[in-house]
Amino acid sequence: MILQAVEVERTTEPNVRQTVLKLEHVTKKFGGLVAVSDFNVDLKEGELLGLIGPNGAGKTTIFNLITHVIPVTEGKIEFYGKDITKLSTDRIIKLGIARTFQNIRLFSNMSVKENIMTAFHVHLKSDLFTAVAFLPKYREEEEFIQQKTWELMKEVGIEHLADHKSSSLPYGLQRKLEIARALATSPKLLLLDEPAAGMNPDETLELNQLILRIRERYKLTVIVIEHDMKVIMNISERIIVLDHGVTIAEGTPSEIQQNPLVIKAYLGVGDEDA
Amino acid sequence: MKRSTRVLLSLMLIIVIYIFVYFSELHMDPFIKRILNTGLIYAILAVSLNLINGFTGQFSLGHAGFMAIGAYTSALLYMSPETKMSNFFMIPLISPLDRIQIPFFWALIIGGLMAAGAGFIVGAPCLRVRGDYLAIVTYGFSEIIRSLFNNLQNITNGPLGLKGLPTYTNLWWTVSWTIVTIIVIKRIVDSSYGRALKAIRDDEVAAENLGINLFKHKVLAFVVGAFFAGVAGGLLGSLLMTIDPNSFSILFTYQIIMIILLGGLGNITGSVVVGIGFAFLMEWLRFVEMPMHIFGIEIPGILGMRMLIFSVLLMLTILFFRQGIFGQREFSWEGVAKLFQKRKVKE
Repeated sequence: MILQAVEVERTTEPNVRQTVLKLEHVTKKFGGLVAVSDFNVDLKEGELLGLIGPNGAGKTTIFNLITHVIPVTEGKIEFYGKDITKLSTDRIIKLGIARTFQNIRLFSNMSVKENIMTAFHVHLKSDLFTAVAFLPKYREEEEFIQQKTWELMKEVGIEHLADHKSSSLPYGLQRKLEIARALATSPKLLLLDEPAAGMNPDETLELNQLILRIRERYKLTVIVIEHDMKVIMNISERIIVLDHGVTIAEGTPSEIQQNPLVIKAYLGVGDEDA
Repeated sequence: MKRSTRVLLSLMLIIVIYIFVYFSELHMDPFIKRILNTGLIYAILAVSLNLINGFTGQFSLGHAGFMAIGAYTSALLYMSPETKMSNFFMIPLISPLDRIQIPFFWALIIGGLMAAGAGFIVGAPCLRVRGDYLAIVTYGFSEIIRSLFNNLQNITNGPLGLKGLPTYTNLWWTVSWTIVTIIVIKRIVDSSYGRALKAIRDDEVAAENLGINLFKHKVLAFVVGAFFAGVAGGLLGSLLMTIDPNSFSILFTYQIIMIILLGGLGNITGSVVVGIGFAFLMEWLRFVEMPMHIFGIEIPGILGMRMLIFSVLLMLTILFFRQGIFGQREFSWEGVAKLFQKRKVKE
């Protein structure tokens, strides 16, 4: 029901892009600390939004609010016109939002392949009995999962490591595995939390291409949190800058680079201005 | 190796096991047979607890409670009305139960279902807490069951327990239930549902952010685990011919936990082998509780020395074999095939 409602209203005209995600006056308070204050965004289909800001600006908190890892204090979150503010995390993921984590969260005791296969569970149609009895319906689904997993591993270039333990992978590949795992839930909106952290320049360049490629291939709308300006300035169409939970700037990469408020937040300015 | 080959080999193994059971029932020493039965019941308990503790990572100490529910439910259903009469001489058994007698198989199933129901009722509120807290809450549950059974005299006969239970349990029953338990739990673990359970064990936050409903899957593990614990309780009751609430104390749960730790958390092969081995070792180690003469010094028999040895064994395992004796190695036909190939190469 819910999924159908989402499908129905997709417009075909390229000019009138549909709103994927809408955050209205979203505020999060941890006791007296305002982590996110009156955050607004209207994200159109296929857009790639960058979210930047100094440490502790509330970027990751916004991701946590979108997927309801923590509840919002005030405000409203809509996904394809549906209010998801109060939905549980697993329901939200099922609707088509996927994310990766700043501090990689792989299933360390499982193989690379299994990590990705796990992500298909959310759309599994067979019930427990069908799965345990290994009935044809489940067998088909399992085959489908295997095949799709293989495709995703190829997509990010880790197919040769399929049976390795996920924790044995080098850092950069773990990040890629996490992206592949997120893609396995067949999302419409992908939230990437510092995907380039800990990567060398070559890997970062490759990651840029990967993000752009998967956005194209899987028709994704993407939000990226990143500290690495080479990533954010190259790939995002629009950037929102946060500082202490407050949105201080919004615009295209070139606009952001010239914005005095952003420079101040990042570099700090002498006392006479403060 | 093809799936059909594996299934065929497994079927052959099962037939071989049943042939063994047939001859054992005819010729085996009753004492050994009894230990083997106990060992197989331990195996059922260990495999089912492994689903909760090992695969889903929810440290539960409530297994003895589920067992008690299964043991009492089935015993009250398969005992004959006459035996019940002679048992409940203090306070009579409540109405429909004192006249009912159903076949052993159905009694076991209903016992298992009752335990599964308890697993659901306990699981629902308990699973809101994690880690050590879950261990405490489930331990509390198992103590509540014990205390309830001690006081519900018109149903359980209180601390007097039930005596003179008919001995239905034999190798046919225990072997069959062990096989069913292994197949069902192995299948769950290998399916997409099993991957979800293991994901919860490895990282709850990541699992939830992949759309896995934590609550639903944890309850699933509890319900399935409790069902088999209930069945094992029913089998044990009929094997020992007597049950009382205090035999299902926390000590019993500790034994099962010891078995799964020794065999390896999340290792079915380990649970089965160590479960059966544990029963034999428990009997064999009886001599340490006898009075002994060592180098001319007379040591009086100390009750509970066996458990001390097991404690040492457990500590050694934790110190030197973190992952248990079997670690991640599961029995598989591929593994057996490899073993043979290696032999051939050597020749």
